[in-house]
Amino acid sequence: MDRNDIKKWLKEPAKMGHKYSLAAVYFCTGCGIIEVPPVITSRWDAERFGVTAVATPRQANLFLITGYVSVKTLKAIIRTYEQMPDPKFTVGFGSCPINGGMYWDSYNTIKHLDKYIPIDGWIAGCMPRPEAIFIAVTHLWTLIDKDMATGYIKYREKYKYYRANQEKVLGELEWPPLYPIEKNE
Amino acid sequence: MQEIESTFKDISVSIPEDTKLIITAKKEDLLSILRFLQDKGYNHLALISCVDWIEEKEFELVYIITSYLEENEYTGREKINIILKTKINRENPQFITAIPVFENAEPYEREIHELFGINFKGHPRLTPLFLEREYKIPPFRKDFDTREYVKEFFNKIPFVDEKK
Amino acid sequence: MNKDTITSTRELELYFGPQHLGMVGNFSITLKVEGDRILEATSNPGYLHRGFEKLMEYRTWIQNFPLVCRMNVVEPDSMEMAYAMAVEKLAGIEVPERANYIRSICLELARVGSHLFGLWAYSNLLGFDTVAQWAMYHRDLILDLFEELTGARVYHIYIWPGGVRRDFPNGFKDKIVNTLHSIGSCVPDYDSVFFNNRIFYERAKGIGKITQEEAKKWGAAGQVLRATGEKFDIRKVEPYAAYNKVDFEIPTREDGDAYSRIWVVRDEMIESVHMIFKLLDKMSEGEVYNRVPNPFKWKISKGETYVRVESSRGELGLYMVSDGGDKPYRVHFRTPSYTHGLIILEKLLKGASIADVGNIMISLYVVAPEIDR
Repeated sequence: MDRNDIKKWLKEPAKMGHKYSLAAVYFCTGCGIIEVPPVITSRWDAERFGVTAVATPRQANLFLITGYVSVKTLKAIIRTYEQMPDPKFTVGFGSCPINGGMYWDSYNTIKHLDKYIPIDGWIAGCMPRPEAIFIAVTHLWTLIDKDMATGYIKYREKYKYYRANQEKVLGELEWPPLYPIEKNE
Repeated sequence: MQEIESTFKDISVSIPEDTKLIITAKKEDLLSILRFLQDKGYNHLALISCVDWIEEKEFELVYIITSYLEENEYTGREKINIILKTKINRENPQFITAIPVFENAEPYEREIHELFGINFKGHPRLTPLFLEREYKIPPFRKDFDTREYVKEFFNKIPFVDEKK
Repeated sequence: MNKDTITSTRELELYFGPQHLGMVGNFSITLKVEGDRILEATSNPGYLHRGFEKLMEYRTWIQNFPLVCRMNVVEPDSMEMAYAMAVEKLAGIEVPERANYIRSICLELARVGSHLFGLWAYSNLLGFDTVAQWAMYHRDLILDLFEELTGARVYHIYIWPGGVRRDFPNGFKDKIVNTLHSIGSCVPDYDSVFFNNRIFYERAKGIGKITQEEAKKWGAAGQVLRATGEKFDIRKVEPYAAYNKVDFEIPTREDGDAYSRIWVVRDEMIESVHMIFKLLDKMSEGEVYNRVPNPFKWKISKGETYVRVESSRGELGLYMVSDGGDKPYRVHFRTPSYTHGLIILEKLLKGASIADVGNIMISLYVVAPEIDR
């Protein structure tokens, strides 16, 4: 068999590997530092769903953005997101990344996080219960099965629009673009 | 309380409750009043704050001073909170730093410089503390409208899904 | 070796940044390091700044309540208490007797929960994973109590100007007593695994030492001050709620290093549990809420005030100015993590080794949302 047949034959087991061993990068951004420790300790055990916490973004494939995002945090989030290897999934936790939430009229928070990095799923609530994280993880499994969790592919294809939005808020960025941008727009 | 009135002229003292003392002073006397209070035993600077009175075109700096215990005995002096206020001009605001008297005044003055735009002479490190971006008017002044700012700036950035 | 003779090739600048396994909360420190010793440390707050005090000027007095409790995520009740006390002082509202007892019980339960969260962070950092799991589990039991009383696990919005929002449900007193007994019966296990452990003694004794004069000069409060031997507690100096009706001890230690601070935390937890039992016995009957005027048209007269509350970290103060309208004119919170995280942390990290940075930071109990507001 040739290379294409092998790739097709391995796609289903690869999806099972992605789903059942999500490694979440340990980054407490915002209000959600209160509901993440109960999730990863023994009362609501996240390890029965396969979700563990790892130390660096180079080892992770799930990014939970817990709570509101300010302008300084956005820089750290973009750098962390770009260091994660493909395929990667992001979940927005709480109602603040969706549309600004309770701080909709603040001069220092980001209102729609979807304009800057791609998000695959949202969890509503302020703060959501720990069981809501597990429901979100099972929804993410069905999305991965149907090939609909494609945030990282969208980031690669539309990178120049994302980067233009990031530069509008943060000014001149210190790191070079992740994917090459054509000069003829 | 009466000692303060006798030592300094041109200030007014009022006692609204039995645990509070509000002193209004001129800005030239401020450091000497702080030193006088520190000698009397009020050695904890709790807060330096600023209020923007836009109609009278003045900033009002507020210093809140309380006291710690002395050798595990309650003398009744610890209950008293002293609120010391002074007014400075709103155009080109300048003031001197209180670091020679109370060493923990440094981050409070840094924050007021960043959010209100008041310059403190003699401060060793007036770099930005919280903010990342530059604003035309310092954000906590009353003529900076945050809802207008959000409408003008954040809501005008386009969504990525609409572009093909 | 003299510090001035170091050449620039041996100095490194490291970022102990927001995404780090040893960092609790969104806070970063810039370290200038030579080998393993730290020469200079600069704290870098601002990742969580929302401009709270500006947002509060756009909302009416009652609409500010959901905003106030989100300032300190670990223990929101003390913020609500400070705001309610300031509004009551400006407007001249009285609080009924039973509401004062309920407020004290809520504050003490929140204090135990917050200390257990700090114990999770500290023991996780040192490597004691078992105690971390136990502490989080017991904190969840307390959050279950809050969920039955107020409806939400984390942000309660229960303490309100004029009293508290609703009375205890039926059988709630027995639930509190059962939960506290089940937590209290585990204290010998905690002692034998963590507090009396030789490894904890070796790792924390002499680290981050601060003397009493330095603590007073730099504006410390809370356990940082009580671990140096000073018995200063706002619940005794300026009593609020029902604290003048029950007698309690203030635990102190003498040394002022990280070891004493954690022992003071443990003693305070046990003292809070005893205090809750005494308050439950002495509670009086009556109503819990004095009506306030129509919240959409409520105007408070001109004035200013400063109130203080003892939160689990230190002295929490609130300076509030009103100009006679229906919205506050200026609100300024004085949070205890401000001086601990911006002044004391920088001074204590000079000369420490890199492995002790998290140790010192968490034993000083720095919570990042309180600094940025």
